[in-house]
Amino acid sequence: MMHFPIKRRVAVVGAGMTLYRRRLQETTKEMVFHAVKMALDSAGLTIKDVDAVVGGSAPDLFDGIHMKGENVITEAGGALKPYLRNFTGGTTGVSQQINAWSIVASGLADVCISVSWEKMSPCHPHPQYAFWTIFDRIIERPLGVNLVWIFALEMNRYMHKHNIKKEDIALVAVKNKANALDHPCAQLPAKITVEDVLNSPVMCWPVQRLDISPPSDGASAVIFASEDVAKKITDTPVWVIGVGRCEDTTYWMNRDLYFPYYAYYAGQQAYSMAHIHNPRKEIDVFEIYDPFDYKELHHMEGLRLCGKGEAPKLTREGVTQRDGDMPVNPSGGLMGVGNPIAAGGGMKVCEIFWQLRKEAGKRQVKKDATVGLAHAWGELMQGSSVLIMKV
Amino acid sequence: MSLDKISNPEAIKHWTDVIPPEYVYTVGVAGERFFREIKENGRIMGTKCSKCGYIYLPPRIYCEKCFDYIDEWVDVGLKGRVYAYTVTYLDVDGSPLDKPIIFAVIKFDGVYGGLIHRLGEVEPEKVCIGMVVEAVFKDKAERKGSINDIKYFKPSD
Repeated sequence: MMHFPIKRRVAVVGAGMTLYRRRLQETTKEMVFHAVKMALDSAGLTIKDVDAVVGGSAPDLFDGIHMKGENVITEAGGALKPYLRNFTGGTTGVSQQINAWSIVASGLADVCISVSWEKMSPCHPHPQYAFWTIFDRIIERPLGVNLVWIFALEMNRYMHKHNIKKEDIALVAVKNKANALDHPCAQLPAKITVEDVLNSPVMCWPVQRLDISPPSDGASAVIFASEDVAKKITDTPVWVIGVGRCEDTTYWMNRDLYFPYYAYYAGQQAYSMAHIHNPRKEIDVFEIYDPFDYKELHHMEGLRLCGKGEAPKLTREGVTQRDGDMPVNPSGGLMGVGNPIAAGGGMKVCEIFWQLRKEAGKRQVKKDATVGLAHAWGELMQGSSVLIMKV
Repeated sequence: MSLDKISNPEAIKHWTDVIPPEYVYTVGVAGERFFREIKENGRIMGTKCSKCGYIYLPPRIYCEKCFDYIDEWVDVGLKGRVYAYTVTYLDVDGSPLDKPIIFAVIKFDGVYGGLIHRLGEVEPEKVCIGMVVEAVFKDKAERKGSINDIKYFKPSD
């Protein structure tokens, strides 16, 4: 692996997000404006202070606006400035932060705002129809494939390989939806039990209704600044100390399905850059991509927070609770806060920023968190991106 | 902030539209031969890299391992093993299906990759990972050169 010297240190200095809901009245542009404005206000900046803008949003088919990245340039604050869109499916919300970080680290800009959004509700009768079109047109789509299948197949393989019970996986849904009760933007906060999950309708076995996150509308934004500028903006800049990205083959039938190598390699890159040897010991708080409950476990293993097949045990023992030794998804995650694809990952970066600044209110983790990790997963179900931050 | 939950899209001013293009897709160079073999000969064919020996299914005209072209075709047979499966109870609109459909990732011995397809002539509770299954084709006259020329895979010895 190559190691290039990083030119400049970069910090996150502001964050904001809209409510996450199944359907918002606000247009795509209005949502983006809200998130950008909140992030600017939180940092005490105006749009004039911003040198460059990164927009992140996944398929155009959700919003139903072709070239939707360009559609929001004005509301993102990017008019007459360098603007770049990241378009990497579910990883977008974390991958785009790496774009924004690199724009500042390289010296191209001192302040870069990075806004994530997804407005899934315009896609009728259901956003599922947009997901449907990502599959191979000749081998998979004629079978009537839909998105949930793939996860059902992967979850089935993961459970089989490690002899994991649905009861253990359901604990993730219970934890995350409960955590979301303390998130003011959350779409599906709930006090539920393992039995509720196990008794919810079966969609594609082993995936049941309460194993899955919802489609959502929402936007979030964070602001990156170079070291000297960050120190003028705030007394508590949150430094980016590691970034990583990796994609596995697009041919999902060539992947083993039970271990996410893409998460492993993305994690290794970020750990290497951050000089982290034992992530479980050296990182205090985690936001891990959880569009399905089993995916939190799957990714914990990929990110080396435990051995293969061991994540359910840690969950059962309460280690990943907010007051546990290794809190995972204190925000409530996608399962509880909602899953506006790119903004789902963006929300996770916001949460780590708030956790490390001790600004998470009732969601604040018990331990004194100084290092946090945000992870997103997606593309054609084969990629991961990782961002590690430190106060 | 004015954002709030709106559960009924009819309750707010809105408009509907479509994005008009339709698309015509080719099945590609590898797909042409793959589907022709299924339609005319009832065979499942992969391609084999002469350098590294990887057999690809679905077939490709290039090897992802050594990054060279492939032109050797091999018959992978009709029998594979269930690698993972799901039983789907809802259609794409979320409505219950009359009868659950079983879908599986089917891997063939010695082959890199595999096929995703339906399982038939078996009840969901009898399916297990590792079971041997065999392709069941439509009658030749009904075959169109599509993945659906295979009706399903059924349990086999």
